[in-house]
Amino acid sequence: MSPNMRIRGGKVIAIDNLYTVILGLAFCVVLATAAFVAFKCYIQYETIFNIP
Amino acid sequence: MSTLTKILIVLLTISSIFLCGIVVTYVANADDYRQKYTSLRAERDSLKETTADTIEKHKQKVAEKDVLEAKLSGEISKLNIEISTLRGKLKDVEAQSNIWEKRVSDMASVVETSSQTAGEQVQLLKNTLAELNKLKAEQIKLIAQFNDTSATLLEKFAIIQTLETEKKQLIEEKVELQSRLNKTLQPAGKFTTPVVTLTPRKDIARPAPVFTQKIGLNGLITDVDLKNKMASISIGAADGVKEGMKFHVTRGDKFICDILIIDTDAEEAVGALELLDLAREQPRAGDTVTTNL
Repeated sequence: MSPNMRIRGGKVIAIDNLYTVILGLAFCVVLATAAFVAFKCYIQYETIFNIP
Repeated sequence: MSTLTKILIVLLTISSIFLCGIVVTYVANADDYRQKYTSLRAERDSLKETTADTIEKHKQKVAEKDVLEAKLSGEISKLNIEISTLRGKLKDVEAQSNIWEKRVSDMASVVETSSQTAGEQVQLLKNTLAELNKLKAEQIKLIAQFNDTSATLLEKFAIIQTLETEKKQLIEEKVELQSRLNKTLQPAGKFTTPVVTLTPRKDIARPAPVFTQKIGLNGLITDVDLKNKMASISIGAADGVKEGMKFHVTRGDKFICDILIIDTDAEEAVGALELLDLAREQPRAGDTVTTNL
């Protein structure tokens, strides 16, 4: 058993860092999506924010 | 950390992943409008150029069409003039064709009439030849009868001469006997009276009266050969002209000469000119010929 695991009321519960990782994963996903969208915009329109 | 926060974190993560997946999928499948715009613009530019070229070509074609139309209009007007001229000529040719067709039909009727007349003339010639043969046979018979009659006449003449000689002798005897009788009766103062014969005296033969009839043929001179003094006339054997007939040539009231027929054809005859005086007017074609003046 990991030392980060906590037992509350006889149940094994996840430590808080796990949610931090999950939240970081979500942030990474959102960031990758934004980067992909920006890349596609740059490739197709040669600009990211302006309207050609 | 509270449980609600944890649930929210998990839900946020799931929704983020879901929405990011949707966005990525949409962006990955989205159309490249810039490329489409570029291609469409290039296509539009090429179409503009093509349209300009087409308009230019259209203008050139229109100009060529105008030139060609003007040229063709001139040719059409020329052809219309030629057509009108040819129509006029066609009308003339049709009129001439009608005239010639009429002439041909007239000539056909004339030829048919001539053929019919020739057939009739041939038949008439055959009949005339048959009559001629009959007349020749009768002539031979008449010649034989004439010869017999001549021989008989000669015999009669001989008999007559003999009888005349006997008559003279009888008259001489009668005169002698009458002188003797008168010498015998003179002393008695008587003389013999002329003897009245009982046999009636025959009259002297006199020529029978001759009745004549005018032939009455009239025609025209068709040709004259003054060098040989010959002429042809427009009537022939079909009209009753015979060899040996004499025609008088007149022009108006003037007498020109005579024509003695020496040869006859069906519709013309040829004769020798007679009583032709070179000092007077000469006979020519068209002069009237007649058998009786």
